[in-house]
Amino acid sequence: MAEVREKGYHHWDGQLQEKSWVFWPITRTGIKLAFQRKRFKFLFACSFIPAISFAVGVYISERLEDFKFMAQGAERTLQVNPAFFKTYLSMDFIFFMILLLMALGGAGLIADDFRHKAIQLYLARPLTRLDYLLGKAGVVMFFVGLLTLVPAVVLLLLKLLFSGSFRFFLDYPWLLLSIIFYSAFLMLFFTCFVLLASSLSRNRNYVIALIFATYYLSEIARGIFYVIFRSPYSALLSIPANLQQVAAAFFQVKTPYAVPWHFSFLIILSFCLLSYFLIKGKVRGVEVIR
Amino acid sequence: MSIELQNIHFSYGRVKALNGVSLSIGEGATGLLGPNGAGKSTLLKIMLGFLTPAEGQGKVLGYDVRTEQKFIRRLVGYMPEDECFIPGMDAVTFTALMGELSGMPRQEAMKRAHEVLFYVGLGESRYRLIDTYSAGMKQRLKLAQALVHDPRLLFLDEPTSNLDPTGRQEILELIGEVASIRDIRVLLSSHILADIELICDRVVIINHGEIAAVGRIEDLKMINYQLYELKIKGELDGFRKELEAAGCRLEETEDRLVKIYTPPDFDHKKIFVSAARNQVQVRHFIRSRTSLEDLFARVVGVD
Repeated sequence: MAEVREKGYHHWDGQLQEKSWVFWPITRTGIKLAFQRKRFKFLFACSFIPAISFAVGVYISERLEDFKFMAQGAERTLQVNPAFFKTYLSMDFIFFMILLLMALGGAGLIADDFRHKAIQLYLARPLTRLDYLLGKAGVVMFFVGLLTLVPAVVLLLLKLLFSGSFRFFLDYPWLLLSIIFYSAFLMLFFTCFVLLASSLSRNRNYVIALIFATYYLSEIARGIFYVIFRSPYSALLSIPANLQQVAAAFFQVKTPYAVPWHFSFLIILSFCLLSYFLIKGKVRGVEVIR
Repeated sequence: MSIELQNIHFSYGRVKALNGVSLSIGEGATGLLGPNGAGKSTLLKIMLGFLTPAEGQGKVLGYDVRTEQKFIRRLVGYMPEDECFIPGMDAVTFTALMGELSGMPRQEAMKRAHEVLFYVGLGESRYRLIDTYSAGMKQRLKLAQALVHDPRLLFLDEPTSNLDPTGRQEILELIGEVASIRDIRVLLSSHILADIELICDRVVIINHGEIAAVGRIEDLKMINYQLYELKIKGELDGFRKELEAAGCRLEETEDRLVKIYTPPDFDHKKIFVSAARNQVQVRHFIRSRTSLEDLFARVVGVD
């Protein structure tokens, strides 16, 4: 039976705990708030269209005889191999959907806290700035992981299931690791990219503009430099081109640009490292020290 | 002692915010009083571990402000001056999140969030989005999030700013009730003297980054000076000069009331002697109760 108390302040009779995942409540709240946004659920559902199409592709690839009338001439496209997974994980539509979802659910992660001066509320708790950033990073990682790692692993499992044997797995024993590491690479990049943009303004609309402008202007810059210099190294200026280069290396297929893939890998990693220090500096500098 | 600071120095670039602040604060409610820019908020942020002092040492609830900030923040509730919240959340989710981040188990935090929101008077509107709250409600919510984890020490930074008189009265009543609880110490930073006088029994007056006065409000009022209020007829100038030479300070209000602040051991008969010598008629003479406002004006050196 519930205790009947007198009106007034009462002490809490529990014990505060030392948690190892102190950032988790921030991540959970961020994910919940993202789903509360208008149109987010619809876009989230739409972002699984490629995964569903690829799943159908996996099914058809195992039943080519049955679908001969449909799949005539498309046998090569429907061949499930590492390139198939590379195509899924580095296709423009997936990157676009990640950007779109992060524009809606991720742009305000730090920007809104700056705008509403909420960072001091977080940091007045037993949290470090790193805990705060991990909490925010978890939100982006969750969504990027849901669009990349989860569908790719499910596609792999479907392939094994539909083929009815482990032959595919034995043919490419490294594929699962490639999927995991490349997805982790994408999660890291998009987390740094979105959080950096979010920490550069108090206005989420500017952050959204910044996310799309940076991503697509880098691709435009690649095109312009290529036209001027005719050098494949212009690919290093482009975010999507760099991601595709790394994807090709991870899945052991030919890189789309005649540039060593590790240049792209280093560029993305350097960007992530730089972002981390910039974000950490911003989180300390704007809200707490005035 | 709940707070012990020794020779704390802090600068924002070239601007010196705190210059050798040393103080000890024990039980009960203490007011941190000072004009705008005196260094009150900086001092709170140093005690919370947001800022690291350039020099000096300090302990809050026995934990070092330089190295044990996490332990301090676990036991301290902080109500910031700014209007701050997480947009898109309702009050109960927000308060529970703050409790959980302090180390409360999730379900306990939610239960406690309901309790403190009822306590601060937001029980009926606890499921409303914070974005739609009025300034007074947001102020109550800030108090709720500071109380949710049942802190041992409460830092309140300008808790009545931006409030109408009714809202101010209500929030002061809540703070007063919390401050009266034996094992919760309150440090109330404000430039509103009446708030401090109502809630606190001790005061730390800070000015230009230095401690100007510290102690029990009643003691400070008694020890530092005595206050007499006079109505006079005649020229004030000579009378003023003579008393000021004797260590007194005179103020004349708009309604011609003369306030004389005298040193503690000053014989009030000297006022009459001086008045007679300067041909000033004393038509009204009363020993006044000194207010915190008078104390503040005296130590900070403003009228």
